[in-house]
Amino acid sequence: MFGHNVSLLRSSGTLLAILCCIMVLTSCSGNAQLAHTNKDEEKLITIVHSLPNESLDPHNEWIALRAGITETLLRLDENMQVNPWLAVKWEAKDDLTWQFTIRDGVTFQDGTKLDAAAAKASFERGITDSKALAAALKIQHMEANGQVLTFTTTESHPAFPTELVHPTTSLISVAAEQKMGKAAFNKAPVGTGPFQVNAFISGQEISLSRFDGYWDGKAKLSKVKFLFNADANVRTMAFQSKHADIVYHLAPEALGTIGQDAELAVQSVTSLRTHYFTYNPKSASVSDLFVRKAIDKLIDRDTIVKEIMLGHAHPANGPFYSSLPFGNKGGYTKFSPEEALKLLERAGYKKNGNGKLEKNGAVLQLKLIAFSGINPELPLIPLLLQSDAAKIGMDIQILSVEYPDVYIKDHTDWDLSTSSYLTSPRGDGASFLTAAYVPGGSYNPANIHVAQLDPILKALHATGDVQTRNQLTQQAVQVINETNVNSFIIHPNILVGINQRVLNWKPGAEEFYIVSNQMDVR
Amino acid sequence: MFKHVGLRLLQLVLMLIVLSLVTFVLMKMAPGDPVLAVLKADERPVTEANQQVVRQALGLDKPLYQQYGSWLLQVARFDMGRSYTTNQDVWQLLMERLPATVSLMFSSMLALLVFAVPLGLLAAVYCGRSVDHASRMIALLGASIPSFWLGLLLIYLFSYRLNWLPMMGGGSLYHLILPSVTLGFVMAPEYIRLLRSGLLEGLSQEYIRAARARGIREWRVTAIYAMRPALLPIVSLLGVSMGALIAGSVVTETLFGWPGLGSMAMEAITQRNYPVIQGYILLTGLGIGLANWLSDVGLLLLDPKIRHEKGMSA
Repeated sequence: MFGHNVSLLRSSGTLLAILCCIMVLTSCSGNAQLAHTNKDEEKLITIVHSLPNESLDPHNEWIALRAGITETLLRLDENMQVNPWLAVKWEAKDDLTWQFTIRDGVTFQDGTKLDAAAAKASFERGITDSKALAAALKIQHMEANGQVLTFTTTESHPAFPTELVHPTTSLISVAAEQKMGKAAFNKAPVGTGPFQVNAFISGQEISLSRFDGYWDGKAKLSKVKFLFNADANVRTMAFQSKHADIVYHLAPEALGTIGQDAELAVQSVTSLRTHYFTYNPKSASVSDLFVRKAIDKLIDRDTIVKEIMLGHAHPANGPFYSSLPFGNKGGYTKFSPEEALKLLERAGYKKNGNGKLEKNGAVLQLKLIAFSGINPELPLIPLLLQSDAAKIGMDIQILSVEYPDVYIKDHTDWDLSTSSYLTSPRGDGASFLTAAYVPGGSYNPANIHVAQLDPILKALHATGDVQTRNQLTQQAVQVINETNVNSFIIHPNILVGINQRVLNWKPGAEEFYIVSNQMDVR
Repeated sequence: MFKHVGLRLLQLVLMLIVLSLVTFVLMKMAPGDPVLAVLKADERPVTEANQQVVRQALGLDKPLYQQYGSWLLQVARFDMGRSYTTNQDVWQLLMERLPATVSLMFSSMLALLVFAVPLGLLAAVYCGRSVDHASRMIALLGASIPSFWLGLLLIYLFSYRLNWLPMMGGGSLYHLILPSVTLGFVMAPEYIRLLRSGLLEGLSQEYIRAARARGIREWRVTAIYAMRPALLPIVSLLGVSMGALIAGSVVTETLFGWPGLGSMAMEAITQRNYPVIQGYILLTGLGIGLANWLSDVGLLLLDPKIRHEKGMSA
């Protein structure tokens, strides 16, 4: 019996030896692969982003623009101002007509020339294939004449140029799509950008190579590998192990370790997102302005920034970040339980024998709708408010739901809700104001209506002048803050890891432009 | 035989219809609105009028029975519709993801067998001794450790520290190793325990004693004669595991950036992308049905008793 067992063990030992050999071979090959990718002369860069993409369809996904495959007529600069790109100039001919002059000397990666007719064909394809794009652009018809493209919109659309910075308005070669077929084209779209697609694995990676005929100067890098991974810990390890040169949305808890490595740097960029509370206009408790103001003073924005966001956020004083041209330049509401208590006393609340605030025998008890979304901090903010409110005798019950908008739309038994939106993704605040403060808007499930905002929004929708639009937006924010229909909490930052060998590159708040012709490696 | 196969096919079709109906009704009952995903309302604010136009265009304003009926007729014409969010053909979308899922399924099954068979065998042969205890400890570890945690540990060790294997991406067999080992190790404990108990039972049978008495080598007695009956529950369980792996492993796929069906389905469910969810349900239902059928065929081949009961010759 023992002898037989020995032979069994021998077989197992052989198996183990084979496995070890496989592992050794694997390790050799893995190392070789890594060394190969790090050769400076190849000028290859690896980028890891958090959002996997099913397709590279430029009119339905952002990734073609992010990866430097396509470009738009206009683009945003660092200050979120709209600038020329594939269009050299534009003007409004009347309320419904916009004329754009397309840049001369630009060719698509298939060699076809970019002119107004090609741009028109691209927009026609976009409107057909994306209902979102059709709804946003409101194009009735287009006319192409040489390099001049004229759009006529179905209604007055003063924000039309800002819509044209959106990644899904990318210009593509429709001629290439006709040759390749839609399915193949959506895996390797042909645009005017500095890089063209070598290979694409849906949801996993894009392999890009330099387009030598790029109009704005050949890219300094020869290849770019764009990987997707939705797990923050894995992305962070890819950055720390130097498998990736640029990594988006790092895990904040790893920043201390990353800081110890001289080859790695982290950029914390204020995003265009805002976390805020929405008050229920139908709630008996929070329909009182004093109660809303009191809750606003109970939000400890400094602690949220320091403790929850680990310093990677800015306190909010309105829906738009203060450094934006239309942002509120004033300060934010400071945490003050004492002042909150005074406001509640003005609203008629007094502490009872149990230390709870009550009015006409009814205890002040609020229901807060919370959700987590993709931001891990979102459930923590209501908990902090709940704790601070309890200290002055206000009772807040938290209900976590998957879709707060759906809950808010279908229920009236809530007092405040957590909201989080990209408030100014295209360098203009008007679209957010319309969506969040006009009943029926997609960011307004509570159907909030502020009468004082109506004339401001009307004026905003009637003018295309950027200065006037910025001023009107600021006026609207002032009204929103005075009426306190929302309490704005923070603007979270985007954490981007950058290996020090990467040159001429920094992340933007809009997250539209990632791969560029200027980026380089040491 | 033909009657048997025909009956199974009929059962499969009926199961798929019931499955798709139940999923359809549950999806419609759940909160969430696909129109907002179609209009990408998280990127661009949209008006009620925009939403109404899209709702009509997608037929979402029609009664439920009409919506389901239209979808079923469409499927009968081998058209699964288009994704609400990317406008891609659903069948094409599923076929793009299927190879990644199938390759991960087979490699995970391989990893599972690499862990389970030697450990189950050694535990049975050395029952009650240190090898048995070690095997049971490993099984306990596999059963207790969450797959995301094990995956992170493997990435940390083999990719971050040792730099032996890629931590994400695809294109080579190396990319399959870590996700397969993660899934295989987590699924192995049940197999180890089943194999151990099956072998112990088999080794105590009269025919094994007779085989030993005839001087047949012990490894042959254990690995062939005792193993065959011990494999029967393993084959049944393999059918179940294959079904689960076809449906995709969201956690492992997310961790390793593996573009399988699971992560695609998860995103579709979040966005209430009904055509993709329905297509996924049909495909995985079909896959699970096929895996169970293969498992049944395996049992028929392994067990003469079942063949005899079903009136098939050996």
